[in-house]
Amino acid sequence: MTTRRVQNYVCTSCPIGCPLQLVHEGDEIVEIEGQECNRGAKYAKQEFVDPRRTFATTVPIEGALYARLPVKLSAPIPKHLMMAAMGEIRKLSARAPVALGQVMLRDVAGVAGVDVVASRTIPRTLCAPDPRAESRA
Amino acid sequence: MFGRMSKSYDVVVVGGGPAGLAAALGALESGISRVLIVEREPEAGGILRQCIHSGFGLHHFKEELTGPEYAERFITKVIDRDIDVVPQSYVTGLAVDSEGTRLVRVLSERGGLSTIECRSVVLAMGCRERTRGAVRIPGSRPSGICTAGLAQKLVNLDGYLPGERAVILGSGDIGLIMARRLTLEGCKVEGVFELMPYSNGLTRNVVQCLSDFDIPLHLSTTVAMIHGRDRLEAVTVAPVDEAGQPILEKGWDVPCDTLLLSIGLIPENELSLNLGIELDVVTGGPVVTSTMATSLPGVFACGNVLHVHDLVDFVTEEALRAGRFAGEYARHIRRPQDTISLVPGQNVRYCLPHTLSPDRTHTIYLRTKKKLQPCLLKVGDLLERKLRFVVPAEMIHLTIKPELLERFYEDRLQIDLIPLTE
Repeated sequence: MTTRRVQNYVCTSCPIGCPLQLVHEGDEIVEIEGQECNRGAKYAKQEFVDPRRTFATTVPIEGALYARLPVKLSAPIPKHLMMAAMGEIRKLSARAPVALGQVMLRDVAGVAGVDVVASRTIPRTLCAPDPRAESRA
Repeated sequence: MFGRMSKSYDVVVVGGGPAGLAAALGALESGISRVLIVEREPEAGGILRQCIHSGFGLHHFKEELTGPEYAERFITKVIDRDIDVVPQSYVTGLAVDSEGTRLVRVLSERGGLSTIECRSVVLAMGCRERTRGAVRIPGSRPSGICTAGLAQKLVNLDGYLPGERAVILGSGDIGLIMARRLTLEGCKVEGVFELMPYSNGLTRNVVQCLSDFDIPLHLSTTVAMIHGRDRLEAVTVAPVDEAGQPILEKGWDVPCDTLLLSIGLIPENELSLNLGIELDVVTGGPVVTSTMATSLPGVFACGNVLHVHDLVDFVTEEALRAGRFAGEYARHIRRPQDTISLVPGQNVRYCLPHTLSPDRTHTIYLRTKKKLQPCLLKVGDLLERKLRFVVPAEMIHLTIKPELLERFYEDRLQIDLIPLTE
């Protein structure tokens, strides 16, 4: 016989941020309380079963106006894999030009179908040569 | 075209951030063709270039974009429509000649000083961050203290980590986003300290930027002292009393080498002040009519230079409108003068625009002074709407249709937020 436990969440579906209590017995959800609308229950359930997150970071780029290329995940990954994904992205580098949406790494942290993609274009038309950049180099 | 600047335009836009880009496109919609954007940085996009996280565009594009993606959609349009953008340039002054032509003084890195002729001007200079001096934190003056936005630029554009152990003062969204960003990059964030009894950022950011990484959020607590000679060594943090003053006896020291300040934004109105444009003491931005016109004829304002927004989507919406009116002005179309002044009443910190005209639909922006849950939004006796939840960090927007103002003969319309008991 598994005991009943309570897991607390703050709903992020809207700015109100309802404090949610999810009562469960092992993997089984018994009830969800605290939500002011039905989005709360859905949120708590997702957080309990499979919490997922997405994040953005940068990779070094050569031949561009700035030193970094912003990248993002193409879809959320399980929350506990965030740091592993960061570790893989840290090994990447890029060279201009780069197109928006260009895949920099496939199946990040072993999550099939989730890629690391460039979140901007770095063509010559978007950048003016910066005289300060030349003097730095 | 990027980098091109002619001698004469219909509309000159000061600033190439989200407001300036949308204002330039809005100006084209009014039927004019010659628009120049004067941009201080080497490329357009403004602060969006360094806001690499997602969460932009949910209202305007109905999808979630990162800052650079949001900016790129507008930059692409600006390039396609043949709008001139002159980078690394500043507008230093503005004069009007006897024929009503506006003469804009532009100081440019490559072109030196020049004078550009135009019919109307849109101010879209954005805002800047409040610094340590604005909140007067006592202590020494070591290195390692910077605003959250500067740290964001260092990390996301330049690729430098500002330190290894950070404390963040202020729980606005930039502070929360930077807490996660620094943690992902391997910097230890000791905590976020907030003077107010509630977070100033979105709930989603508190959960996804702090809770997910076990970063503590200390409410009603502030940084009371800064320690360190050459480099920051520690800060003393302390809970505050009702007046917001730190209770030093209850304070404790947090060792750190970096202090990020996320303590508010100020519209950047040096140019407006030099031109003698009337400013609102509450918003810090120009006083504007319903056409987004400032007190100086032919000069319009939009975006964070007008008032600090929390969502870029509303900046875009406001700037498109300001651009259209500036374009109309350049075509010598004059709207009837506004007859109604819009004034903030109970619990309303400010509302914009400052005046209305009964002949068309208006979009009104307002901010509450404090958290109210729930409350009644009252626009004179014309409109009532129950709101479940309002906080100062979230702008309220509403539309007023001309039918509502048809039989309104007074010259003053007051907006109130009246608390309701559940």
